[in-house]
Parts: sequence; C-alpha cells; structure tokens
Amino acid sequence: MFESRSAVFTGFGLISRRPLCYRRRYRAMKIVDTSITLDELKAMAGDRFGDLVKAVVDVATGVMAIDGELHADEEALLLEQGSRQTDLWGINIYPELADKDRIEFDSIINIRPSQGNRSRGVDDPAIKEKIFQIVARWVKE
Amino acid sequence: MNCQHQSLASGRWRSLSLIEQLANIGSEVERALNWRDKGNPIYSQRALERALELIGLTVEDPRHRARLKEITRLREAILDYFLGENLYQSSSALWRKYFYAFGYAARSRIK
Repeated sequence: MFESRSAVFTGFGLISRRPLCYRRRYRAMKIVDTSITLDELKAMAGDRFGDLVKAVVDVATGVMAIDGELHADEEALLLEQGSRQTDLWGINIYPELADKDRIEFDSIINIRPSQGNRSRGVDDPAIKEKIFQIVARWVKE
Repeated sequence: MNCQHQSLASGRWRSLSLIEQLANIGSEVERALNWRDKGNPIYSQRALERALELIGLTVEDPRHRARLKEITRLREAILDYFLGENLYQSSSALWRKYFYAFGYAARSRIK
C-alpha cells in the first residue's frame, strides 16, 4: 500500500484526507488587562466552542488569559508572564448568559490538593468572589 | 467537518498523556452533566459534542492501539447515557467519579 495516513494520491493530485479544520490558522490566546466587551466574547465563543470562552484568572494580579483551547494553555501563558500557579483559576465564561450563570468554575487546573482545592471548581468562596470581581472589572456589557 | 478543538485536532492532542486526554474529556462530560442538571439541554449537548470530538481524537491516537477497547467502550457508554436508553445503567455520579480520577492524576504533580 502506498497510501499515507494523511494524504492520498488521486488522478486529480495529492488530496489531503484531513478535514478542513486541520488546515485552519490557529487563533492566539489573549491576555485581558483592559476592558473587553461582551460582544467580543460572544464572537470568540462563536468562533470556537459556540457557547463558552475558556479563561484562567490570576487572582493576585487581576489579569486573565482567554480564548485558549485548554485551560492548561492559558495557565502556561500566564506562568510565562510571571504569574504564580497558586493564584491561577480556570473558569468558563458564557457570554450569552447573565449574572452568576455567566461564569462556570470548572477546570482540571483547579484540582490542587496541596492547596486544599480537591474539586474542579473553586472551593473557597472568597476566591470565587474575587474571580467574579475580576471578570466584572474587565468584561463590559 | 467542523472541529472545535482546532490545534488539538492538528496533532497537539497527541502530545498529551492518556491521563491528560481523559481528564480533558472528563471536563466536557462534567459540563454536559452540569448543564443538564441546570435545565439547559442546548449547552449540555454542545459540551457532549466537544467530549465526543476529543474522544475521537483519542481513538485516532496511534499510541493507544493496544487499549482502544477502553476508549471505544467509553464512547459507547457515554452515548448510551446521554442519548440512548442507558442500557448500561450508568449515572452522573459514576461518570463524575470515573473522570475525577483522571483529573486528579493529571494534576497530582502540581504543588
């Protein structure tokens, strides 16, 4: 068999067997340290997951990284910028929803037994509130 | 085909360990469960679709050839639970427990 796994030779030339999405350009993540509108978030959500934008919030510096495919990618970006891991929390922002429903505290990166956080959520209500405040500070209607 | 995880679909998914892959699949399954519990079937369905996309990438990962049964059974059981008649009698508690172990293991190295 002369057929490669990623491409097949046909009478019309070498046709990629990979779906279109393999060939798209990837969008860079964004660090939010200034206002971002809800419409911008809606566009990001629509362009990737449909309903949500993944975000990692630094509760010490008040910045957040958004629009990654994985929370771990956003976490790595903030760590590269000097954030401390203990200050980083993963959330999902649902721009079409309102108030408390807009933020979902759910990420693998939040599982940190050594820090007393054993769930994928954010167990400490004070940290949760801080995250609400940071998101409210940057995300404008 | 409309991939939601574009860079992961392009090959980066294969840079993750199986534990990390299953932990990320678990994130989406957990979201599907949470939105279903909150009465939002549309968001639940979208999270399920993302989970299925990641399971598909995991099945395609050549490193897992010798353990595909776990992954293909996982896919079947998840579909049975969310969209089928739940013949395997799984539950949201079972799924949370199953995936939490992978999430915990994936992050256990973090101090």
